[in-house]
Amino acid sequence: MTELGDARRRVEQLLTELPGESDQLSFDHPWELRAFALAVAAYHAGQYDWSEFQLALIGSIGSWETADATGEHEPWRYYEHWLGALETTLSGSGALAGDELDERTRTVIATPRDAGHHDAHREPIAVDPAR
Amino acid sequence: MSAPTSSPLPITLRQRTEAEVAARVKALESIMIEKGIMTTEAIDRLAEIYENEVGPQLGASVVAKAWTDPEFRTRLLANATEACAEVGIGGLQGEDMVVVENTDTVHNVIACTLCSCYPWPVLGLPPNWYKYPAYRSSIVRAPRRVLRDDFGFDIPESVEIRVWDSSSEMRYWVLPQRPAGTDSLGEAELAELVTRDAMIGTGPVATP
Repeated sequence: MTELGDARRRVEQLLTELPGESDQLSFDHPWELRAFALAVAAYHAGQYDWSEFQLALIGSIGSWETADATGEHEPWRYYEHWLGALETTLSGSGALAGDELDERTRTVIATPRDAGHHDAHREPIAVDPAR
Repeated sequence: MSAPTSSPLPITLRQRTEAEVAARVKALESIMIEKGIMTTEAIDRLAEIYENEVGPQLGASVVAKAWTDPEFRTRLLANATEACAEVGIGGLQGEDMVVVENTDTVHNVIACTLCSCYPWPVLGLPPNWYKYPAYRSSIVRAPRRVLRDDFGFDIPESVEIRVWDSSSEMRYWVLPQRPAGTDSLGEAELAELVTRDAMIGTGPVATP
């Protein structure tokens, strides 16, 4: 890596931390990056050929476009198609069975984000003393 | 982000809220980790790589090399995948890359009309507009107008515009023209001028 590459990366890293949308940002929400990384990780884990995922993604986007043409306007969310394609391929590989994802999703929704973290913590939780 | 709403329909049968989709991704990740199909570390590492490490600066370095090394340029145009491998660049979605060269008479633009095929190893992840249906269809129908109106990038009438459709089999990217007045610049300085959009074909190379 060149020094320039490093510098550019640092700037890009700052850009990704900016709130809101920008055409420089590939991801609008953290879950999108997560879904992206999950698909690549599953591919690296040998769950499917990348082309299978590709086809599933094309299929999902194609259905959206057909529905869009008939006037059923669902908002466009690219990574939702990405997630749908991932579910399709993982079901195909046997990694995902039946409605276990629906069930787990309900559990996640029912669990408050800060479950078990309701008390105010007024002291530092770790201290590395001065020497 | 919209708030979760109560609906009688199961979440699979209606448009999900942003929060529900996020929960679904989280649920999927926890199932995959539980089953030992992947580890959190592997997912974190990938997210980190694609968010911060792979990006258009890699493509920019290849362009700068092509501008300064005519033999490399020839190899890049003959087989982009192999030429990029020479400089240690390659990986997923970079298997069959084709570089199309801009000239005084031809300007190239890339798109993926079916989904969002894109040469990740050199350009990083595609910007959101690249994935929007609006870009994917309009750049094919009226490239000159889209470049002018949506990107503020005016291509002279005398220059032909070619739009390339990337697929999973073949991924295109653009070798822009080296700007005039850059004879004294070295490879690293030249690379700084090469923008992501210049390699997509939707923007110019910066001027020094």
